Amino acid sequence: MGIDSTHRRFSWKGALARHSSALIFLFLFACFSLLSGRFLRIGNVVNILEQSSLLAVVAIGITFPIITGGIDLSVGSLVALCGALAAGLVTGHAVPVPLAIAMVLALGALLGGINGFIIVAGRFQPFVVTLATMAITRGATLVYTQGRPISGIPASFTFLGDRVAGIPVSLLILLIILILFQGLLRFTPFGAHLYALGGNEETARLAGISVHWIKIGAYSISGGMAALGGIILTARLWSAQPQAAVGLELQTIAAAVLGGVSLAGGSGGLAGTLLGALLMGTLANGLNLLGISSYLQQVIIGAIFIAAVMLDLWTKERHGESSQGALS
Amino acid sequence: MKSSFKNHRQGHHFGLLCAVLFLAALLSLLSPQFLTTRNILNLLLQSSVNALLAAGMTLVIITGGIDLSVGSILGLTAVVTAGILQSPLPVPGAILGGLALGAGLGIANGLVVIKGKIPPFIATLGMMTLSRGLALSLSGGRPVTGLPREFLLLASSSVLGIPTPLWIVAAVYLAGTFLLARTNLGRYIYAVGNNMKASRYAGCPVPTTIITAYTLSGMLAALAGMVLVARLDSAQPVMGAGYELNAIAAVVVGGAALSGGTGNLGGTLLGAIMMAMITNAINILNISPFYAQILQGVVILAALFVHSAGKSPSRSCITRHYGPGRGQKFQGGEEV
Repeated sequence: MGIDSTHRRFSWKGALARHSSALIFLFLFACFSLLSGRFLRIGNVVNILEQSSLLAVVAIGITFPIITGGIDLSVGSLVALCGALAAGLVTGHAVPVPLAIAMVLALGALLGGINGFIIVAGRFQPFVVTLATMAITRGATLVYTQGRPISGIPASFTFLGDRVAGIPVSLLILLIILILFQGLLRFTPFGAHLYALGGNEETARLAGISVHWIKIGAYSISGGMAALGGIILTARLWSAQPQAAVGLELQTIAAAVLGGVSLAGGSGGLAGTLLGALLMGTLANGLNLLGISSYLQQVIIGAIFIAAVMLDLWTKERHGESSQGALS
Repeated sequence: MKSSFKNHRQGHHFGLLCAVLFLAALLSLLSPQFLTTRNILNLLLQSSVNALLAAGMTLVIITGGIDLSVGSILGLTAVVTAGILQSPLPVPGAILGGLALGAGLGIANGLVVIKGKIPPFIATLGMMTLSRGLALSLSGGRPVTGLPREFLLLASSSVLGIPTPLWIVAAVYLAGTFLLARTNLGRYIYAVGNNMKASRYAGCPVPTTIITAYTLSGMLAALAGMVLVARLDSAQPVMGAGYELNAIAAVVVGGAALSGGTGNLGGTLLGAIMMAMITNAINILNISPFYAQILQGVVILAALFVHSAGKSPSRSCITRHYGPGRGQKFQGGEEV
């Protein structure tokens, strides 16, 4: 659905329908630039990018299960667990940094895969399964850290949260991830099957797609990206906190939804998710610069979130009526 | 057909009841403290806030929706109710005001879901952020204290030896069970959750039903907030953060499916008690509290395995769109 729409004849309504989140982003960007003199400086823009990169990395991961029509609530806890494990490995066990990172990424992918396996094997609802593993993973983090932060991270690790020549390393990681997974989505059978499965699981199954493995793969990617988020977070904070990233799962889902990824599955893409994450980062940054209290910010963010999703749905509905009608 | 419909509605809590009793037997063997009146009352008291939230959540989940905002509505109504209590207004006025606010926020949820055609997950996620922000803004991030003694009686008093919050929970669950099993509204709630399109064609007032479910959920969240405030003698703006997931867990352990159309309050109550028993067990057995969440997660998974035996899979409620949006389920020319 999402792929075909790019081949339609150009129309303003169509452009609006496809890019309503981009328009909101530009609108907010323009507003903040006018309202605050400090907003549009290079330093601040780099700040926004750096601050959004963690959310964006995890949100890109979570986009895969959402495209299958599922959801992954365990990513926040996974960020904490993997961040703590990475910190524990490089400090307590003196594991070389690259090996520690590889191990943690593999573990994240494995735990994500286990989510997928339980969902597929039991035909359970992803929401409930990942709600359970979210609690289990958070508990495991608390047990592993004994509720205390882990600090004393070596510089060879914290470098990942640093900047090189003024460019945040986490931003470079984000770019690599984006290119890698965009390629995976657009140019491999896995990507095509993922959309097919999200569009209509039964049809995909009948078409001979191994629905189960695709799903397990999607949740593995989500777990792996959560692990990467944990690594970035630990590197940035120079320590691992057992209560890190509580509620991050809902923020990442919000970012994906803002980027036009439908929770019904089968549509949306990584560029949208990235835009959603940037939108949330820009909003927080701009409101901070305007001196609005962090309390009031939540009210504004909640209202803009609902309004943006409504706008997105309404423009899509108006534009897509004819093409959608054929489906029902 | 009729019998299967009834089965869905009445449910069978035999397995869950056995699990709760088995856990209770195990705990009383492991610790002499468990099976004392004081501990049992304490356990039930601890489950009361979650039980109230889960009651509203059950109604919403049966309609095929979800309400992520209950924790934040609890926080906001707690702050506002405490604020009214500090004014010269009488205590019942403050309680009514808090309940009305909860109901109003619930109506807003329902309107966004049914008129805005936004999936419930997203609508209530927005409300969750918004109400938490309002709670923090109104209170300036500080707890509201110095509440009148009459209000605190809501939690500290007891009738016939049983604490008042338990009477409140009992009243809510009895009324809710009556509503679901014996009234037209209850019938509509199940019908909408089973098949919204069919129920609409059958003449069921879909918008009213859905808005009512969210309204009751918001009102019960407000009630839960008042019980909590009365127990703690202060209203904190961050109160109730994350409670929505505990409530959903209780509903799921109680046997309702997130796809809607099934579940009932008896199961949810057992689910809430089950979750409270885990916390209680960790306390009286001196297990590190770090293991609490692991055990709760395991219980949710175990409940899934038990309840899923023989059920066909269905897509989650979060994928549902109320109206001709991108979803394929409920579109066509019908008016909402």
